[in-house]
Amino acid sequence: MRLWQVFIKSIREQKRDLWVVGLSLAFAPLFVFIYWLMTGGTGTTAYHVLVINQDVPVAVDALKVTAGEDIVTRLQNLKYQNGSPLLKVHLEMDRFRAEQKLRNRNAAALIIIPADFSAKLMAFNDGEVAANAELTFVGDLTNPLYTVADVMVMTVTDTYIQDVTAAPRPVSLVEIPLGGSAARSEFENYVPGLLVLAIILMVFQAAMTPARDIESGVLRRLRLTPLTSFDYLGGISLWLGLVSIIAVVLTFVAAIALGFRSQGVLLPAVVITIITSLSIIGIGLLVACFSKSVSQAFVIANFPLGFLMFLTGAAFPMPRFHLFTVFGHEFALADLLPPTHAVIALNKIFTLGAGWKDIIFETAALILLSLLYFGIGVRLYQKTQMGIVKHLS
Amino acid sequence: MPPTVLHTERLSKSFGDIKAVDALSLQVHEGEILGFLGPNGAGKTTAISMMCGLLKPDAGQVFIHGKPVIGMRTLVGVCPQENILWEKLTALEQLEFIGSLYGMRPKTARRRDAVLLEELGLSNKADQLAGKLFGGMKRRLNLALALVHDPEILFLDEPESGLDPQSRVLVREYIRSLSKRKTIILSLTGRRLRE
Ligand SMILES: Nc1ncnc2c1ncn2[C@@H]1O[C@H](COP(=O)(O)OP(=O)(O)OP(=O)(O)O)[C@@H](O)[C@H]1O
Ligand SMILES: [Mg+2]
Repeated sequence: MRLWQVFIKSIREQKRDLWVVGLSLAFAPLFVFIYWLMTGGTGTTAYHVLVINQDVPVAVDALKVTAGEDIVTRLQNLKYQNGSPLLKVHLEMDRFRAEQKLRNRNAAALIIIPADFSAKLMAFNDGEVAANAELTFVGDLTNPLYTVADVMVMTVTDTYIQDVTAAPRPVSLVEIPLGGSAARSEFENYVPGLLVLAIILMVFQAAMTPARDIESGVLRRLRLTPLTSFDYLGGISLWLGLVSIIAVVLTFVAAIALGFRSQGVLLPAVVITIITSLSIIGIGLLVACFSKSVSQAFVIANFPLGFLMFLTGAAFPMPRFHLFTVFGHEFALADLLPPTHAVIALNKIFTLGAGWKDIIFETAALILLSLLYFGIGVRLYQKTQMGIVKHLS
Repeated sequence: MPPTVLHTERLSKSFGDIKAVDALSLQVHEGEILGFLGPNGAGKTTAISMMCGLLKPDAGQVFIHGKPVIGMRTLVGVCPQENILWEKLTALEQLEFIGSLYGMRPKTARRRDAVLLEELGLSNKADQLAGKLFGGMKRRLNLALALVHDPEILFLDEPESGLDPQSRVLVREYIRSLSKRKTIILSLTGRRLRE
């Protein structure tokens, strides 16, 4: 019952500080919006490609062969499943200016179609096996966008050449998409991580709320009352849990509004969210233990935030630093951070359409780790801030 | 002689090199007022914090009705030296909150809070956020919060500091009236000895 009183009191106080709560709630949906912009406003990245088409069409009998133009058209027609273009093709005349654009990263790749392109293809078709046209690719090899654009363009030209020359091939390539991933846009693949990010960002609230009670001294008053630390921390956690859920819901709604489609069922996702927030509350309590004031808590909270955001794969996919293998599961450094498992679980649910039985391992790891983090946070807070203490803060 | 309410045995506390309280032994009887007088930094706040069971002494013990203070803390009320208030709660809301933590029924608490606010001249500020109150009013609310659960022993750490002359008279009269029903331990800075 006292736990409930603390919860109600927290709601009352925060209601009068609405803009602070509002700002922290707006943070994660803002991230969703930024990621949406980053993926081209369509949820998919369009790669900018420059083409210098020097090809001179040739006429064979009544037929006009325009291989260069055909390739440009095919590049322009390359689409994601949702219909938005994969490549933005810009026709260039001058190689020097085009390379300038590559250097400034205004485009990812430059393709130069030679003047004898159509002619050589026709010659090959007429049986001249040695005919060879040189298609040139120019790009900054350190630019990851170049690699992607390069592969796309090469595939398109290769397919085209195969089509017009009808040359037989010993190998054909087959692509099998995992789960619903074929129909997913790049933006959609970021969303599960961003939902976890929404919870991670609550580390500020989780650190500043208890720190406020330390700074203002009210904890000293509370310690004299029969309020137990269980009731006090439970009341605060209830409030923080509520805010976390609201943050995730807002983030989810923002993602849906920008074109996100969920593949799986919602209930496991909600449960994952709630458990994850427990670990973040634990970390917040730890931060509060080392802070004398709200502003200090804010500064210190940035450190766990950085780790949680970038190591867990919430902000974007990270390489895993492999540690050891148990029961066929590879363990990495980031596996010690509860949100890592939440990101994987939500990815399975939302992108691959997984249900409970597919996320047993992640859920178990998440529960264990979250309870551990929460337990450590609560214990340290009790020891340093509650009961009879060695130093009055 | 009335029974002993509180006694301490050689209470000591140091902060680094500073010996804030050194082997303090005392007895307070029911209905007594005990005053700690001393200049700034003499250790008054430290002594009070140990006696009410907030601060752990380096050595020595505190007893209330012969039992260690830690289990008897509901019998004490503390009015701290600095105002400790919930800035974002109204005067009435924080009195009610504290009351609920002591397990008071809402009805009893409401009656009690109304009386406290009346006695301390805060009736018309009941619905004002504590953060918006003027200094003297905050001071009086700070005192009211110590009294919600009608404690038997009252610790007042410099209750008159930060009060305008008018409020000071009100508070002093109020403490005097309380002393008929309660055991009071208060601290005052040295320069007020004359008063
Ligand atoms: N948490 C603490 N850490 C370090 N030193 C402390 C701490 N609390 C008190 N002190 C020191 O202990 C001594 C006694 O402090 P205390 O606050 O008990 O004195 P006081 O009589 O209440 O003074 P004042 O009239 O200023 O309130 C002072 O020298 C103070 O600096
Ligand atoms: Mg003092």
